[in-house]
Amino acid sequence: MKKLFFLMFNNLVHTLTLCALSFSVNAQQVDTTSDVELQQETFNWSALKKTWEDDIQFHGFFSQGLFHSTGNNVYGKSKNSVSAGLTELGLNISYHALNNLSFAAQGLYRRAGESTGSAGEVTLDFAFVDLTVLNLSDTRIGIRAGRIKNPWGLYNETRDVAFTHPTIFLPLLYFDRSRGMLLAMDGGQLYADYNAAIGDFSFKFNYGYIHDQHNELLIAITNDPTISGNLESDPSLFTQLSYEILGGEYIFAISYADLHLKYQNGETYDPYSNLKIHIYPLVFSAQYNGEKFSLTGEYNIQWNEFIGIEGRPDRFAISEHWYIQAGYRILDNLEFNVRYDSSVQDIDDRKGQQFNQLTGLPAHLTFTQDWVVGLRWDITPTWMIRAEYHRVHGASMLSIADNPDTLNVALDWNIYALQVGFRF
Amino acid sequence: MPHKYHVDFIFFLFTKMRQCLLCIVLSICVLPTAQAVEVIMNTTNSKELTQGLKNLRSIFIMRTRYWTNGKKIRVFVLPDNNVVHKAFAKQKLKMLPHQLRRTWNRMTYTGTGQPPVTVDSVAEMLEKIKHTKYSIGYIDRRVEDEKIIFFNVQ
Repeated sequence: MKKLFFLMFNNLVHTLTLCALSFSVNAQQVDTTSDVELQQETFNWSALKKTWEDDIQFHGFFSQGLFHSTGNNVYGKSKNSVSAGLTELGLNISYHALNNLSFAAQGLYRRAGESTGSAGEVTLDFAFVDLTVLNLSDTRIGIRAGRIKNPWGLYNETRDVAFTHPTIFLPLLYFDRSRGMLLAMDGGQLYADYNAAIGDFSFKFNYGYIHDQHNELLIAITNDPTISGNLESDPSLFTQLSYEILGGEYIFAISYADLHLKYQNGETYDPYSNLKIHIYPLVFSAQYNGEKFSLTGEYNIQWNEFIGIEGRPDRFAISEHWYIQAGYRILDNLEFNVRYDSSVQDIDDRKGQQFNQLTGLPAHLTFTQDWVVGLRWDITPTWMIRAEYHRVHGASMLSIADNPDTLNVALDWNIYALQVGFRF
Repeated sequence: MPHKYHVDFIFFLFTKMRQCLLCIVLSICVLPTAQAVEVIMNTTNSKELTQGLKNLRSIFIMRTRYWTNGKKIRVFVLPDNNVVHKAFAKQKLKMLPHQLRRTWNRMTYTGTGQPPVTVDSVAEMLEKIKHTKYSIGYIDRRVEDEKIIFFNVQ
């Protein structure tokens, strides 16, 4: 008898579960239908909307970082302390005026440690007119004129948009010190897209003037923090060919740049007045973006020529930067990343001993090896938060503005970072 | 006192019922995971670009920007974390939401293109497609409406 009651009770539970389930399914169906009817009444206005309004879009992004480190400073005074020295805020507008004519501009506010000062800086990030010359179903060719982002590696064009790269710190080949040199160009871009059966090809060619407002690069080249002049650009170029398979599951790219800079006198007598800089990097990029697993590798070989400094021999050095990064999506919106990153300023002086003998500065200012582990959580499609840890060997990535005492920079050090981001 | 036979019979009956119930419950639980998705377009669209995976993918990664009649394609999507969006990306585009987002972010924040317009619900999507000329989007079921035509992915 007991058995019977037990069974009856057991089945009652099952029946109730079934009822509850079917009820919730029905309720959902009812909800959506009434939703549709409701929306039909309220959304009719959209038919009246002017078409030009649909051709204008506004977008933006924001991020704030928090840093703690041992040994050296990153983005402000983070050493044995906490710095909130990295803020990025961008707003853009784009207008598709005609089928073959569009305009776009973006303003950027950026605060990045001492190099931008505590108040930060506002810049015009890009502003250009885009004219499509040829528009066929598989091919698009056009030109852009104005200030245009430079295609270089996988991340340079969107390097200030936290959402678009997997870790808080970009890989070392995107050196923050060279940011101004790589960022954007005042000039023109020729672009061509070709959608083949085997994948999508994109080609970009930028020609014009780069505008580096910061002296970090100049100080690093001359090892002279008291230098008073500026770098000015001669005509330079950036070019990239990229190939994407299956809508970006596999990405391959080759980027090349040829950059010419010359020194603008600060004082009437200046030992650097004849300084000319010629930098030409070549980057190979490959990425796999799977459902759970992703793998990225980039290799940059960069030729550098520094000539015309009074009393010093002309320098020619080849730098090498590369990294390999693996990501795993634990959930759709939770990703774990690990990266090994290496950077050498001169491949003939990998340990920096010649540099040390020549300048008296620490040898480890010429290289960096960095192990990174990070976790990123996309809370909603518009909000993201991430945390990461760096174990760093070397100091070539340091900002001199944040670490003015170059004689005493640490060789082995740690970074702990946290960042929150928003985009729309 | 009920006879042992009856007890056994009732036990047998309940066991069978339980099996049936389990089957029903399971099928209900399993069915909704295969999320239905239909790609829909406004009837004003030119009739030539209405099929094929390559065309559909090219439209949604914004590499094909105009219908064959020269009109700008108005692309609507649901948020990245919406189940219908995820199902659409996987089933219809053979892509993943994060791959789409990467492409859209790139054009948005370099000024080189405009990403699709995001709507909040399937109901809003249906309204947008009905009332926006040259538009394309997707919903979670097949509906009969004179203002809507279906995109054939196969």
